[in-house]
Amino acid sequence: MMLGGILASAPVREALLIGGAAAVMSGVIGVFTVLRGQAFAGHALADVSSAGGALALLLGISPMLGFFGLGLLGACGLGAQKRGDADLASGILLGAGLGLTALLLHFAASLRNVSGAAVSVMFGSLFSAPPGEGSMVLAGAVAGMLVLAVISRPLLLASLDAELAALRGLPVRLLAAMFLVLLALAVTLSAISVGAILSTALLIGPPATALRLTRRPWTAMALAAGIGLACCWGGVVLAYASYDWTPGRVWPVSFFIVALVFSAYAAASWRRA
Amino acid sequence: MRRTILGMLAAGLAMALGVMPARAQPVLHAVGLERQYADVMRQIGGPYVRVIAIETNPDTDPHEFELSPAIAQAFSGADVIVANGLGYDAWADRFLAGSHATVISAQAVLKLPDSTKNPHLWYDPATMPAVARAVAAAFAARDPAHAAVYHANERAFEASLVPWAQALAAVKTRYAGTKVAVTEPVANGLLRAAGLSIVTPFSLQAAIMNGTDPAPQDVTAQQALLAPGEARILVYNEQVTDALTQSFLALARTDGVPVLGVYELMPATATSYQGWMQSETAALARALAAGGH
Repeated sequence: MMLGGILASAPVREALLIGGAAAVMSGVIGVFTVLRGQAFAGHALADVSSAGGALALLLGISPMLGFFGLGLLGACGLGAQKRGDADLASGILLGAGLGLTALLLHFAASLRNVSGAAVSVMFGSLFSAPPGEGSMVLAGAVAGMLVLAVISRPLLLASLDAELAALRGLPVRLLAAMFLVLLALAVTLSAISVGAILSTALLIGPPATALRLTRRPWTAMALAAGIGLACCWGGVVLAYASYDWTPGRVWPVSFFIVALVFSAYAAASWRRA
Repeated sequence: MRRTILGMLAAGLAMALGVMPARAQPVLHAVGLERQYADVMRQIGGPYVRVIAIETNPDTDPHEFELSPAIAQAFSGADVIVANGLGYDAWADRFLAGSHATVISAQAVLKLPDSTKNPHLWYDPATMPAVARAVAAAFAARDPAHAAVYHANERAFEASLVPWAQALAAVKTRYAGTKVAVTEPVANGLLRAAGLSIVTPFSLQAAIMNGTDPAPQDVTAQQALLAPGEARILVYNEQVTDALTQSFLALARTDGVPVLGVYELMPATATSYQGWMQSETAALARALAAGGH
C-alpha cells in the first residue's frame, strides 16, 4: 500500500499539525485580508518575516520566534503609514526585508553550519520542522484565533465599511493595528509551513476561492479554513506518496500545497464563469 | 671613509646574494581547493612549492562556499591546482577553465563518472595515493630540476599512509559487517574501507547533504535504526548540522547509541592528512567499542 504507515511517521504527523494550524489561521485571517484589500501588505509582511526566519537560523533560535518578530516589526512599519501610500509602503518594506534576508542568509551559510538555509526559509521544509515547533505553531494559532474571536464583529464592520464603523464609534485605527498583528501571526505560521515567499498562496488562495463561492463573510471564513486545511493535508499526503514516484525522493510539500490551492481557485472561478 | 662603507655594503650584498641560491626557494605555486589536497601538495612539494589552500574553514559548509577577489588572485599565479571534482568545487570551474595551470581533479584521477553520488573522495583510502602520484608528476613536469625530490616525497607520503591502512584493517577484522547509521555521506569511504555496513538510506544522506526536504519514509527508517540493537554507532558531520541531524543525535543519545562526529574538511588542528585520517579512524574504533551494549 502506497500510503501504508503514513500516520505512524513522526515527520508526517508534525507536518499535518503545523500545516493544519497554519491553514486554518490563514484561511480566516485571509478573508479579512481580501475584504480589506491588503493582500499585497500580507505579501510584504511575509517577505519581511523571511529575514526573521534567516535570523533564527543564524542565532539558532526557534523559526517561529524569528518569523513573528520580524513580521511584527514589518506590521509596525505598515501601521505607521498613511492609508493612501499603503501599496507603495508595502513595496518599499518588501524590498528592504528581502535585502536583509539576503544578508542574514549569507551569514547563516558562512558563519554558522547551516545547510539549505535559503530554500527552507523561502520555500519551506515542512518535513524537517525542528522538534517542538508543532506545539508552538498550534499555541500561536489558538491564541490568534481567540483574539480574532473577540474582535471579529467590529473588525468585520471596519473592514467592510471603515467610515460607517467610525461613525458608530468603533476604534477603527486600533482595530487596524490589531489586525496587522494578527496578519503577521498568520503570515508567520504560513511561512513556517510553505516558506516565506509561498505563504501568500496560503493566505490569499483559500479565502479568494471561498469568496468566489459565497458572499457571506462568516461562511467564507469557515470555507476558507476548510479549503486551506484540505490543500495542506492533501499536499502532505501527495508529497509522502511521491516517494514511490521518484524512488527515494519526495517532491517538496510546498509545491503540492500551492498546486492544490491554485487548482481550488481555478475550479471555483471556472464554476462561477 | 664613505668608500669603505659602500665597499662593505657591496661585500655584504654579494655575500647575501651568494648565500641565497644555496637555500631552497619556492619554484612553483600550487593551489589546493580543499585543505586536505593542499596538505598533500605541501608534503610532496617540500620547500620548492608554495601551496595555498582555498577552503580552510572547517566550521562552514563547503557546499556553500563563496568566492572572494583574493582567491581569484591566488588562481592567476598558480602552476598546479588540485580540485576534488564531482561538483564539490564547481565554483572554481570558471577559474580552472581560463588558467594556464595544470589542473588535477581527484574525480578525473580516479576515473569516476559525473553520476558518482558521494563527492567526499578524500575519505576513501584509494584516493590520496592516486592524487599524490598525479601531483608529483605535475610538479616534476613543471620543475624538472627537482623531479627526483618530488617523486621521493611522494613515495614517502604513500609509505606514511601504511599505519592508517593498518588501523582500518584492525577495525575490519573486529567489526566487519557491523551496521552503522550516518547523517551525511562524508566519511562513507572510510567506513566502507573499515568493512562496516552503512544502513542509512542514501536518499536521506543526500537530502541532508544537499539541504533538501528529507522523505518522511527515510526519517522513519533512520529513527528505527537508532533504536537499541540496530545501528551500533551514528556518524554525523561535525561541520554542518541542521535540525534533523540534531534530532537524530538526540535520539541516538537517548537510546545509548554512540555518536561519532567527523570533519568534512581537514581541521586546522590536524597536522597532516594522514594524521587526520588516523585520528578519525581511532575515534571510530573507540565509538564502535563503546557501542553494542
